Amino acid sequence: MSASDTRAPPLRATGQTATKAGPRRALLPWAAGPAWFLAALVTWRWPDADDFPDTSRLAALFLAVGLGLTAAAALRRLSARAPWAIALGLGFAAWEIAQAKLLWLPRPFFGTPQDLLDVFLTDWKRLGDSLLHSLGLLAVGYGIGAVLGVAVGVGLGRSLRFRYWVRPLIRLVGPLPPVALLPLAFVLIPSGRLASEALLALAAGFPTTILTWSGVAAVDPAYYDVARTMGARNRFLVLRVALPAAMPQIFVGLFMGLGVSFATLVVAEMLGVKSGLGFYMQWAQGWAAYPNMYAALLVMSLMCTGLVTLLFKVRDRVLSWQKDGLKW
Amino acid sequence: MVTTPTRTAHPLGLELDHIDHSYMIGGAFTPVLDDISLTIAPGEFVALLGPSGCGKSTLLRLIAGLEPPHGGAILAEGTPIAGPGPDRIVMFQDPTLYPWRTVRGNVALGHDIAGRRDPAAVAAAIELVGLKGFERAWPHQLSGGMAQRAALARALVNDPRLLILDEPLGKLDSLTRLTMQTELHRLWRDRGFTAIMVTHDVEEALLLATRIIVFSPRPARIIGDLPIDLPPHRHRDDPRLLDLRRNILVQLGHSADW
Repeated sequence: MSASDTRAPPLRATGQTATKAGPRRALLPWAAGPAWFLAALVTWRWPDADDFPDTSRLAALFLAVGLGLTAAAALRRLSARAPWAIALGLGFAAWEIAQAKLLWLPRPFFGTPQDLLDVFLTDWKRLGDSLLHSLGLLAVGYGIGAVLGVAVGVGLGRSLRFRYWVRPLIRLVGPLPPVALLPLAFVLIPSGRLASEALLALAAGFPTTILTWSGVAAVDPAYYDVARTMGARNRFLVLRVALPAAMPQIFVGLFMGLGVSFATLVVAEMLGVKSGLGFYMQWAQGWAAYPNMYAALLVMSLMCTGLVTLLFKVRDRVLSWQKDGLKW
Repeated sequence: MVTTPTRTAHPLGLELDHIDHSYMIGGAFTPVLDDISLTIAPGEFVALLGPSGCGKSTLLRLIAGLEPPHGGAILAEGTPIAGPGPDRIVMFQDPTLYPWRTVRGNVALGHDIAGRRDPAAVAAAIELVGLKGFERAWPHQLSGGMAQRAALARALVNDPRLLILDEPLGKLDSLTRLTMQTELHRLWRDRGFTAIMVTHDVEEALLLATRIIVFSPRPARIIGDLPIDLPPHRHRDDPRLLDLRRNILVQLGHSADW
């Protein structure tokens, strides 16, 4: 009793600060627009240190974002994201001042915001094309690797004979970084695209195989007994018992495989396939076109995070029966 | 409990003919069942009582067809049991519901395996065990008693001719246990299936069974076969049950001095 008595006053005090923070939290979204207006003003009015392209367009873009954020604040659509919106606006303003106006960092390695914008405005077609190529390569290679990985993992977990023959191969080839096979693959497989897809499949397949195997091996034998006493055959036990039970582990494997696939993709595109974002970056570096490289990096990171998000969305769907899960 | 339960058409009769079985433990064969012979008439409720670890559950696995016996034969209506079948359904000590299926999905498991759909029968089984309203719940949202009810519905939906109960109430709290005992008994009476139940609880065996088989410590041998000639509606405090209880405890090696 006494403990709760002594705790009562501070509890009330925190309640008061919460109500005091209320109006401040309500005002915060309204600061996001002005942060971007500031970036627009600095870009537009402060003379550039050199002859940069698209300064006025960049200012217009900042202005447009500022207006959009103000509208969002008015519609009360901007509460949790307000601090980030403000920080980004101020960050762009700082970058603009440091590089476009004062040239603090050495060129051409460090670009200005308008350089980056210029790349997207002038080279969007080639960037988009590279993105599609990368996505196409990933889709085929990763897709095949994921399906094969799950199949081989189930085989390893369920069949003694399969395990006897396949396990040594997996142990020999699996831990090898897929990029180490790149030179060989380009010699053995005449098409660079096919060779890259094979390596991507390997990259995605190994972690998926191992984690599927571990998931299937860890299935409570009682789950099989329950189905077997009702007359279930092997097909049901694999597809409707082992696979769903192993699903949490399988998704860990798919996630790891996706990461290795990204790495393999970039290297394969840089060394073999003459297309895709990796190739674009290689090309940009060769021409010392650093803004292009930054642009390609940005696109690539959006692609990777988008694919990971997609995977997690599928996972949340499939594993909705789990008590709780990681929020990506 | 509005549904009128369908009576099981043909309760299954069993004949256990000199069953021997052993397990590989630490590189050596340890005998678990020693020359078990037993005839179970259709519609009986047989309780298997014995010290923990004596091999009763193994015997149930053999009857279910999950493993073949090393020696002897198990005959169901004259034909040897070759493997598991949906006419002999096991209810385990743990509910072992599939966590990725809802209550409804778990109860429908037998239908899925058989490749048929009968939502009405699934709904009826769920209602029968008192889980109406929880059809869409996930197993992790159920209490222990509710989960075991769902497991019971999953067994009943197959219309088993033989219900094999491997200490299904062993892990429930004592109040839930009393309720489930009553319901199990009602189901057996209404449906008329044959039931074999392993239990450690002498009182539970006396309350539910028409016959109690007492086993020795491992390797299990039958040391007692007691018919319970009492009406199906028994009261827990019936003095005749107390006498039988004392008798059984003596057979299990607990002398009557306390």
